[in-house]
Amino acid sequence: MAISEARKGNDGADGAAASELPRAMTRRRFVAVASTAAATMLLGSALAGCSNASDGEAASGGDAAGEVDYANWDAVLEAAKGQTVSWYGWGGSEPRNTWITTVLAPALKEKYDVTLNLVGMDINDILTKLSGEMQAGVEAGSIDYIWINGENFYSTKENGYLWGPFTHYLPNFNDYIDSESNEVLYDFGSPVEGYEAPYGKAQMQMWVDSAKVKSTPKNPDEFLAFCQEHQGRVTYPEPGDFAGTAFISCLIAGVVGKDEFEKLSSMENPTTESVKAVIEPGLEYLRSLNPFLWKGGATFPADAATVDTMYADGELVMNMGYGAPEALVKNGTLPETTRSFIFETGTVGNSNFMAIAKNATNKAAALVAINEVISPEMQLSQYEELANISVLDMGKLSEADRAAFEDVPLGVTQLPIDELLDHRIVEAAGPVIPIIEQLWLDEVIGK
Amino acid sequence: MGGKRAAKLFVALHLVCVLVPLAVVAVWAFTSSWPWPELLPQTFSDRGIVELFVTSRDLGEVLAVSVGISLAVAALSTVVAAMAARALVSYRFFGKELFRFSTVLPFLIPATVFAMGVQVVFIHAGLANTVFGVVLAHTIVALPYAITIMSEVTAAAGEKLEQQARVSGAGPVRALFEVQIPLLLPGLLSAASLSYITSFSQYFLTLLVGGGTVKTFALVMFPYLASGDRTIASAYGVLFMAVTLGVFFLFELLLKRFASAKTEYFTD
Repeated sequence: MAISEARKGNDGADGAAASELPRAMTRRRFVAVASTAAATMLLGSALAGCSNASDGEAASGGDAAGEVDYANWDAVLEAAKGQTVSWYGWGGSEPRNTWITTVLAPALKEKYDVTLNLVGMDINDILTKLSGEMQAGVEAGSIDYIWINGENFYSTKENGYLWGPFTHYLPNFNDYIDSESNEVLYDFGSPVEGYEAPYGKAQMQMWVDSAKVKSTPKNPDEFLAFCQEHQGRVTYPEPGDFAGTAFISCLIAGVVGKDEFEKLSSMENPTTESVKAVIEPGLEYLRSLNPFLWKGGATFPADAATVDTMYADGELVMNMGYGAPEALVKNGTLPETTRSFIFETGTVGNSNFMAIAKNATNKAAALVAINEVISPEMQLSQYEELANISVLDMGKLSEADRAAFEDVPLGVTQLPIDELLDHRIVEAAGPVIPIIEQLWLDEVIGK
Repeated sequence: MGGKRAAKLFVALHLVCVLVPLAVVAVWAFTSSWPWPELLPQTFSDRGIVELFVTSRDLGEVLAVSVGISLAVAALSTVVAAMAARALVSYRFFGKELFRFSTVLPFLIPATVFAMGVQVVFIHAGLANTVFGVVLAHTIVALPYAITIMSEVTAAAGEKLEQQARVSGAGPVRALFEVQIPLLLPGLLSAASLSYITSFSQYFLTLLVGGGTVKTFALVMFPYLASGDRTIASAYGVLFMAVTLGVFFLFELLLKRFASAKTEYFTD
């Protein structure tokens, strides 16, 4: 005991020589083992690096040799056969995930022998991953196509991370979509130029439980009265969140007028001053709401998910989002008495899209999958199951297909499509959105 | 007497604090609506169960991959940590303090920044989108915890008994396996458990390094947590707990089996 204590002390002291042979040996062996391990690791990763490099070359070589003629749809179908295509997109909606895995994926497998791998993530995580792969020069990327829109589309396209233009390859795009409509030509004000195909149309709607709330506001003035009536039980997600930004856009548009607000959708080189000049009365109005909102408008819930749970818990009397909450009523999260409404002054709407990554490994299969999503059959199914507004031009559909769309019964929370589209306000352009959000932070919250 | 009663009270309080939230999660897995001010859930739903066992058809595979990865991480990081701890406790070498500091470095770097760096390096090394790459990345994150635990345990265990074994004629390997490792076993299992749970709950790092090719449980569960779908998030949460508890139970069994009566050496 005593000896070992002493040794320990000695060991710790400065200048303790390797006087004891066994210890010195052990130490040397330790160093030897450690360096062997390190060398093995280095060698291993070097080997892995080499094999990867050759893999990459082989893959790109193969690609170049068997370059698919994408303009020939039969060739695309042939190339897509047996491929597994990875679709990256927001994965937080169980009804949508279920639709993709139980309706879309089996159809793709059966008709085209394409396997769909849905990877549900937050869009920011997806873009981090994409830019990481692009910057590292990966040629066979793991992301094939992405559910995207707005400023995310703008920045990825600017950075050259997207493959295209590709929409003119798609038979269903050419046959059923009005390629000249603004909703298809522009995505939050930035030109699409064939780099993404529309997936669905969304429009801001609000909803309440009609068993508890008797009348709903029809314009910003009535909304102010509504907040006074339900003091502390109304709020909106902090702008920066999609739904929060869209909701204040609806209110601002209601105050300044639709035409004035839509100037923001085509504004070039927006500055804080030019945006503020348009929305100033709206900011003034938003400040007047604050005293009657949840926590006196001193703070706002961080995101739509928080507002959703607060509403479901009965803490709030009104909620909002892109699209009717039909799926939530069907699955019992919200009561049957839930009803949607929009302002007569209109609500903002946009389209969301699908884009193909520049380094996608399975471009042919991605084209096939995207083409299938915009087929009349799948658009109808999405409308039935998810209450998704179709991106198809009803005028271009066959009589039978159009009738099928019209025959879909509206759910209790759904508003007729005509009513929605008649009150649709075009969203502010991508670069304007952050300015509106910053102005709200500077001039509305807590004021 | 009073002290005992107070202790009991604290234990009860602790149990309530831990078990009640867990029970709420379990109830939510079958609930679709539970609005304020109702004390009990109002409507029930099998949505969570359907999502787990019907819709997500590859759940078994995802679980197998996740548990496999996490067990590999637990094993790898425990072995590395035990060796590192031994080096730190028993040896003097050039740059030791720097080494000690660098073992806790992953604590100090924000996870997101760390993950982005690892992604780029792994892409160049050909480790991105592979299970091995994910295991390696998780191990880096788990190591600081494991090393911290192992350093303490190794220092507490000391070298006396191992040296005694050597003096009595045991070879280095035998002394290690029959004396030192049993002595360190409780620490080894703690380090393994902590590494396991660290790995099992990794989301962002797995996403970047595994890239959707390597699908783990946390990866599938996270979108539902983030979107506030409580029924499904809770169903996943309950399964998460069940699987983790199952693995810990296994660890615990191993500990009982191999470490019986040996821990008394600590009490000298």
